[in-house]
Amino acid sequence: MTKTQIDRLGERLKMGQATPEDLRMLDEFRRSFFPVYEKVILTIEEQLKLKTTGRPAKSTTSISDKLNRESIRLTQIQDITGCRVIVSNISEQEKVVAELSRIFPKVTVIDRRTTPSNGYRAVHVVVESQGRLIEIQIRTSLQHLWAEVSEKFADVTDPAIKYGKGSQEVRTVLNGMSELVASVELDEQRFEGAPPKNPSSVLHGLGGEPEGIREKVRKLLESTIKRLALDKE
Amino acid sequence: MLFLIEYDRGGGELVLFEKFDESNRRNAEEARLELELRLNRLGIGHEVVLLEAATESDLRQTHRRYFETLTELSRPQS
Repeated sequence: MTKTQIDRLGERLKMGQATPEDLRMLDEFRRSFFPVYEKVILTIEEQLKLKTTGRPAKSTTSISDKLNRESIRLTQIQDITGCRVIVSNISEQEKVVAELSRIFPKVTVIDRRTTPSNGYRAVHVVVESQGRLIEIQIRTSLQHLWAEVSEKFADVTDPAIKYGKGSQEVRTVLNGMSELVASVELDEQRFEGAPPKNPSSVLHGLGGEPEGIREKVRKLLESTIKRLALDKE
Repeated sequence: MLFLIEYDRGGGELVLFEKFDESNRRNAEEARLELELRLNRLGIGHEVVLLEAATESDLRQTHRRYFETLTELSRPQS
């Protein structure tokens, strides 16, 4: 398949006009990433002893959505394949990012902690190998919890929420929680290993103990869900 | 292990969940393609994705959204 053929396929996916032949072609394109994907996953698991959840191929719906949302071509999408790693805190996250940057010769680090994307905080390391890009998502457990909740809110209410549109109320709640997670994690990092003698307002307000804080963040999420009555249970 | 997932985004519900051994990667990929082709034929826009993790429990931690409701997501994990 040539680059032009792949990008023309992307145009058809964008228009929502995928034929069975298009789906087979997309499948072939995605499978072409597998040798590099496999090598990256094995390297992470063997050298860094980290657990990964791999996604050998981005879903067709996610590809179509991305092509519609952003002005990029199919050959420019950098997360056709990838994996996710969950770590406990910011310090560990930084250690993993540094290790990945050391192990793989060509990487781009996208730090969404300093520049969150509509509240989404994480670090993405994009590895380039043999002309293919593989995205490694490194999230702390709290960043991950926020991301899962945000995705689910978007699923059951409005997908636009993830991209800064949709219900103002939900966006305000999610943004507030994202900032809370960031403050808590920053304080955790600052006072790592020892309880703070002079806790910041966030730590003080939430109780001061990391595990207690996590519980309170979860309770906040739960009360928000109940208040917005979004669950179908 | 490989896990084939069909997820109804709008309903927030898992529709299909199938497991494959690592040695069955080819079958898993074929099953994913066949499922996509079938849903495309029926005009159903569900998300179809193949994921891989050491165990199902690991998968359920890294991709909770497919398996849990909003309320369940807010509860501590065991």
